[in-house]
Amino acid sequence: MNNVLKAIVAVAASAAVLYGLQRTTPSYGEITSPIAVTGKLGKRIAANAFVIGVVKVHLARTVTTKSVGRTQTFTSSGVWALVEGAAEARSESLSLMSAQWLGRDGVRYALSQRFSTVPGFLPSQRLEPGLPQPVLMAFEIPEDQVSEGTLLIARTAWTPLEEEVRIELTGVGPDDIRPALVLARSEGAVPWTLKSE
Amino acid sequence: MTAAAAPTGGERRRYWFSLAALAIVLPAAIVVNSWDSLSEWRRLNSRTPLTVERGATQRYAGAQWQLTSLTRLPEGPTGAIPIVAEFEAVVDDPDLLKSPCAVVLVDDRGRRWQPAFLPSRVVRQARREAADKPRCGAFPNAEKGKTIMMAATFTVPGSATGLTLSVTVAGARPEYLVFR
Amino acid sequence: MSAEQRLTLRRRLIAFLVAGIGTAAATAISFAMTVYEAANPKVVPQVAAGQPIDTGRWIIAIHEARVGSIPPTGTRPLTPKKLLMVEFDLDNRSASASNAFLRLFAIDPPVANLPLPTFYLGRDKWIASGLQPNMPERMIAAWEWPSAVPVPQHLRLKVASQIYKHRDNLYGAPGWFDRDPVAIVTLDVAPEAGGTGR
Repeated sequence: MNNVLKAIVAVAASAAVLYGLQRTTPSYGEITSPIAVTGKLGKRIAANAFVIGVVKVHLARTVTTKSVGRTQTFTSSGVWALVEGAAEARSESLSLMSAQWLGRDGVRYALSQRFSTVPGFLPSQRLEPGLPQPVLMAFEIPEDQVSEGTLLIARTAWTPLEEEVRIELTGVGPDDIRPALVLARSEGAVPWTLKSE
Repeated sequence: MTAAAAPTGGERRRYWFSLAALAIVLPAAIVVNSWDSLSEWRRLNSRTPLTVERGATQRYAGAQWQLTSLTRLPEGPTGAIPIVAEFEAVVDDPDLLKSPCAVVLVDDRGRRWQPAFLPSRVVRQARREAADKPRCGAFPNAEKGKTIMMAATFTVPGSATGLTLSVTVAGARPEYLVFR
Repeated sequence: MSAEQRLTLRRRLIAFLVAGIGTAAATAISFAMTVYEAANPKVVPQVAAGQPIDTGRWIIAIHEARVGSIPPTGTRPLTPKKLLMVEFDLDNRSASASNAFLRLFAIDPPVANLPLPTFYLGRDKWIASGLQPNMPERMIAAWEWPSAVPVPQHLRLKVASQIYKHRDNLYGAPGWFDRDPVAIVTLDVAPEAGGTGR
């Protein structure tokens, strides 16, 4: 009788342990998720391969781009968020191809590709070590995701264990939404000008 | 059901001996199976530099290589300094030059700058002939006795010192050229 | 054979038979299910134009179809082309931006030598790059119709669906996977404005 009891207890205990292991195993997505380096708006955040800082977030309902001979106005069913920042590589030339706006409820909004030419567009900038460059990012987000957002910037969106900079966009809220923004090229150190109307 | 007999002294000794031998046999099996991959990885990762002083030529990848000029252009508005490196190779054995080529500018802190894809307007105005030279790459039409003239432009900050140009032809690895 | 050997042999035989019954039952049930599903195929529901269809990753409402020679960008192409354009509303219901709407709906029955459609964003009148989640947009899909084939008067579109798996069968990684078509939409193809025929 004792032997049978011991056997039952042993089987039940192993089943419980295995069940716990199964429930707490991280999924493949979690194991290969990017390694986060957190920071705040306005601060210079140093990851291993690059340094980036976000200076200002502009919010507007429409964006008008002015390029040679052509003026285009882009509307959206939500709000446009144009993010100005500066980035620099640390030890090797690289490009930051992936930037996402992580909304309050966990939904990710990728970079908008609707503008045909954006001066200083983050994925098309080659960042050199020791040379900080101004970068511009454009997102389309629903109006209720404007506050408590996080910017996720990485070299690529899919490489496992890629370094990702998470910038908490504190102080950005629906009060900052302007009716229109004008984006034009500029010949100075910063290759664009942003004016709100 | 008959119970299993208790192990004798000899059986127990053999059991523990086999278990101990596993600790040697298992790593040996792994190494033997992956010997090819290991030696290939070691070959690709070990890099032997061939240092070349200014003005000297060096035989590498079936050609005689020489750095003809390294020009620092004036600083741009953002503090970026364009550097134009011109180098040439007198071909002796064209086969090795058919593989891809990588050119990198390295400073004494170990920072690496990749060359620009196309020469910028500033480089075109300042060094016209260098802007017309091709990038270092695979040369399928290399002929013995011909000289291939190449150029690469880099954008470096003012704080970069001790710059050396590193040229690696994929077929001639693990050796690579370092021009001072 | 001794009595003991015969006993163990009989036990092994019984175990073999019991295992065999299980396997045989599984094979038989699987075969019967396949035959039943082949004999009674699931009917794909017909959906009226303009009704939103939930395909899992996208909610699509197909509005109208028309023939034209000018693409939605408004500029006439260099060589004259016949374009079949379908206008629809698309809403991304996944948690990240996506441009995976290329095979969302297809012409049924398939037309030979028909290239894949180009998708245009109605707002910009330019080629669509990708849709952000929870931000529905009006889009236009344009097929370049081969000149030899006459453009149909009624268009039948089969809408595909996808499901989200938190752990897939190969890596345990999350992803969207194709499933059976979820709706069929029949549209009347409006002729080219200006009445120049096909």
